[in-house]
Amino acid sequence: METAFILVVVALTSALALAIARRQPHRRLAAAAGRALEAVGFIALFLLSNVAVGFALALALRATTGSFVSLYVNDDVSLLVLSVLQALVWQSWREPEDPAQPRG
Amino acid sequence: MPRAAGGVVVTLFAALAFTPLAGLLHRALVAPAPPPGHAQAIVVLGAGVDRGVLTEASLRRALGGIALFRRGLAPLLVMLGPDDPGQRTEADIRVELAVDLGVPPAAVLSEARGRTTREEARLSWQALSARGARRILLVTGGQHMPRAAALFRRAGFDVVPAPVEELPAGATRPQGRLELARGLLRELVARAYNRAAGYL
Repeated sequence: METAFILVVVALTSALALAIARRQPHRRLAAAAGRALEAVGFIALFLLSNVAVGFALALALRATTGSFVSLYVNDDVSLLVLSVLQALVWQSWREPEDPAQPRG
Repeated sequence: MPRAAGGVVVTLFAALAFTPLAGLLHRALVAPAPPPGHAQAIVVLGAGVDRGVLTEASLRRALGGIALFRRGLAPLLVMLGPDDPGQRTEADIRVELAVDLGVPPAAVLSEARGRTTREEARLSWQALSARGARRILLVTGGQHMPRAAALFRRAGFDVVPAPVEELPAGATRPQGRLELARGLLRELVARAYNRAAGYL
């Protein structure tokens, strides 16, 4: 029941967004979906990198300083949120800037 | 490459959140334990404390151990769980809870030095082998139990698993399914690390 409810809610808001987006010409849904998939891929890559570096750093700190850092710290949900931010900045940075846009 | 990775992630997310896949994987990797029998001690593994407040998993495990003691399955209850800097240890908070719930103070031990499951196994062996307690009821989460039982057997114990379900294997809500999958992934990584380090 909860699963169906959530999917219906998301379907409704997606339909609304689609209706709004279609008012703008020359916008392709497939290209937008592709860019979204690319962003998700970057998020996954940043998350994997963060966890791997965190794991190695925790083990290195244990070995070199004698202080104990739990490996479970790499399981913190904030690492996922920060990976999302890293990926979004990375993706925006890689995209060519539109010279017609005013710079703020 | 990132687009393909994104496709894999979205597909995995949909399968884990909106189908029973996470529950099926949980049942495949976590064997159900038979009803616990009698032992010489009950050992409750640590699961975290933050500013003097037990985590939900820590509380579940502590209550699981206390329930086994109250059923008369062992004469000794060992509460584990390390310190939180500047605060009381997880083990001491659990001992107090056990005494409040009717466990005689003389029947409960606190061991707060273990920071990993392997250290907990070694320190428990030091504390219990001197008392002649070799057969133990081991209390931890279902996903953690296979690795924990292997480490405690390696330390010398005869282990009777008494898992506490920290996550519902039959979760129907997407969030519950994702938490189940996250726990499984975390445990698989921990098992791989322990094997690579030669601990298992």
